[in-house]
Amino acid sequence: MATEAPISLLERRIVIVTGKGGTGKTTVAAALALASADRGRRVLVVEVGPFEHIPVLLTEAPDVTPIEVGYAGRSLRPGLHVMRVDPFAALAEYLGIQIGSVRPVELALRNRALKQFLSGAPGWRELITLGKIWHLEQLRTPSGTPLHDLIVVDAPATGHGITFLDVPHVVRSAVRSGPLARNASRVSDLMRDPARTLVLPVCLAEELPTQETAELVTRIRTDLGMTIDRVVVNAVAAPPPVADPRGLQSALSLLAADLPFRTLPQAPSLAHAVEHLASRHALNTRYLREIEVRTGLPTNRLPLIARGIDGLAALRRLAAPLLADPERSRGRSGDDDRVAS
Amino acid sequence: MKQPSTTPDTIECCLKGRRVIVCVGTGGVGKTTIAATIALEAARRGSVALVMTIDPARRLAGALGLEALGSDPQEITADRRDLLGIGSEGRLFAMMLDMKRTFDDLVSRFAENESVRLRILRNPIYQHVSDALAGSAEYAAMEKVYELLESRRFDLIVLDTPPTQHAIDFLEAPARLLAFIDSALVRRLIHPAFSAGRFGIRLFQGATARMLALFERLLGMAFLGDLSEFLLAFENMSTGFAARATRVREMLLGRDAGFVFVAGPSLQAARNAIGFLDHLAAAHIPLVGLVINRVRLWPDPQPTPIAGTDPATLDGDLHVLVDALREARPDVDSNKLARGAIAAATQYDELVEFDRRNTEALTQRAQRLGIWIRRVPELSEDVHDVRALQRIGTALFETADAGSPDLPGDDAGVT
Repeated sequence: MATEAPISLLERRIVIVTGKGGTGKTTVAAALALASADRGRRVLVVEVGPFEHIPVLLTEAPDVTPIEVGYAGRSLRPGLHVMRVDPFAALAEYLGIQIGSVRPVELALRNRALKQFLSGAPGWRELITLGKIWHLEQLRTPSGTPLHDLIVVDAPATGHGITFLDVPHVVRSAVRSGPLARNASRVSDLMRDPARTLVLPVCLAEELPTQETAELVTRIRTDLGMTIDRVVVNAVAAPPPVADPRGLQSALSLLAADLPFRTLPQAPSLAHAVEHLASRHALNTRYLREIEVRTGLPTNRLPLIARGIDGLAALRRLAAPLLADPERSRGRSGDDDRVAS
Repeated sequence: MKQPSTTPDTIECCLKGRRVIVCVGTGGVGKTTIAATIALEAARRGSVALVMTIDPARRLAGALGLEALGSDPQEITADRRDLLGIGSEGRLFAMMLDMKRTFDDLVSRFAENESVRLRILRNPIYQHVSDALAGSAEYAAMEKVYELLESRRFDLIVLDTPPTQHAIDFLEAPARLLAFIDSALVRRLIHPAFSAGRFGIRLFQGATARMLALFERLLGMAFLGDLSEFLLAFENMSTGFAARATRVREMLLGRDAGFVFVAGPSLQAARNAIGFLDHLAAAHIPLVGLVINRVRLWPDPQPTPIAGTDPATLDGDLHVLVDALREARPDVDSNKLARGAIAAATQYDELVEFDRRNTEALTQRAQRLGIWIRRVPELSEDVHDVRALQRIGTALFETADAGSPDLPGDDAGVT
């Protein structure tokens, strides 16, 4: 099972974070960006959805209304720039470059008929967004070093994520010649470059996310030909604070349900708490292994932060496990409660 | 809009009289499970119900006693009916939406003849478009619901929608799809002569005309050829298509339909959910309920949270517990057991407290909208058997909302 150590996430140029909805994709993107910026990298986070979710995560106080970063982007912290790629803005920029002048493009994009057309037209959003990311990767400082050391893309959830990443390829096969085909090729080449671009799937150690991640990994490797070297497993429950949960549950089951407690809930509720903590941990442990087996990839496990990601401190707790080398569970066939740590 | 001060008490009043329940929400919150539970409840109450899902939820299929969900409604087996508590009147069906096929069926229905039909189905653009075209998935789902409703085979259809970030994408997508097919620009690509003649010139001022030239330069003639062919074929269908889309939309916004919003309890999920709810309300979507799924709850609502309790009080309780355990199990270290139980209870109570706090604002918003609210407890296992479905059913239908912020407590105030 000798595999070479994967390249550190910090050494990549582009990390595309994807995964099933609700797995904490955006949180992982924010945590990775913050961790890299904290370590002196110049990081750019790119959001691609219709809403901005990253700024609120990178705000010190959770209740402050987050600032909008928009297409122009903003520095939220030293070395940490966040932007949202609005496809229309990116299209205007791109066409402006093609025509050599921005004004006619802006006028044209205000046209209702064109807007109507574009709002339904397939593929262009994804292509222009990826094209913009390609462009961002090309940017250099006057001294010739990359303007952004690391670009973290908070990509759409699995199903849409595949469509998103597949578009350059589709365009390349549908549009066989011309500048668009060339652009699509360049984008596609960047996406498939193992040295520069990594797809980072985020998963939960539960049934449906595991299944979806296994399918995602297969498709990314075989259909998209993109690099993927680990799975981030988010919200992994810690072992329960009890040595023998089953024994405790059975002891509790012998008790009356009307003990004279002043605060504690009655024995059935106590047993429920024990059972819940123990079985969530067991469930996570089981699926962690299944993720590894079904994807053939090692994992980075992030701890469950019960209170939620409510500020930078919570986000920073994810940094070390996220940046560590990914690992594989020990004792594949052995004892069921142990997670390698 | 009126602002009722109390939220409706039971989900029952909302199911009654509706023919479609649409479960909406962001991804990963358990929409499919909630949809299945609602359909199951309708069947238990004597209806012929169908749950239509998007996800290949294998375990859910297993719980319903089906091998896998097919793209046609499949009825659950007789032995499963008993297990699930469905009487002789009710029937329960489940199916998985096959978007590609629904779309193909649609083309077949509206294509004027066989050669047009084949031309569309074989067109390379169509082949990409039918799954990449913005809104086609949503369109296909709505289309299928409409078809099944018209067939009158079911009293109730519960639809599990594709996860979207945009709350009303589901409803707007078909209109966008039609606008695209019907757009003047498309017509112009199809009939250059036509647009050069009458209002085309007015629609496309100089800049757009130049844009079109640019499109051609960028896209190449071969692509434009495929596109024209595709659109030309579609153009003839779009009248039938549009009429149908309008009816589907009316049906979903009318009295027959109710939307159930499914959210998760995490801080991020709850935050996103508030924006989503507001969108739905603003778009006059008939929103009937909010389900916060997978909430950590005490089986019996706790009047006093453990976290923050005076240690002396806990100490007293520890002694009570140690004594009780010693009596029950003289053979084991009751002190150690009791401490373990308290540690677990304290930890669990923290989780309960986080979920309560994280969903407080969402709950208040839903209360203001006057919709029913149900919290479904997080089960310790995945939903893959009848018992799990029953437990969710109980939380949804048989009990009052567990852990509502206005239960007896000290912090009824708004933060």
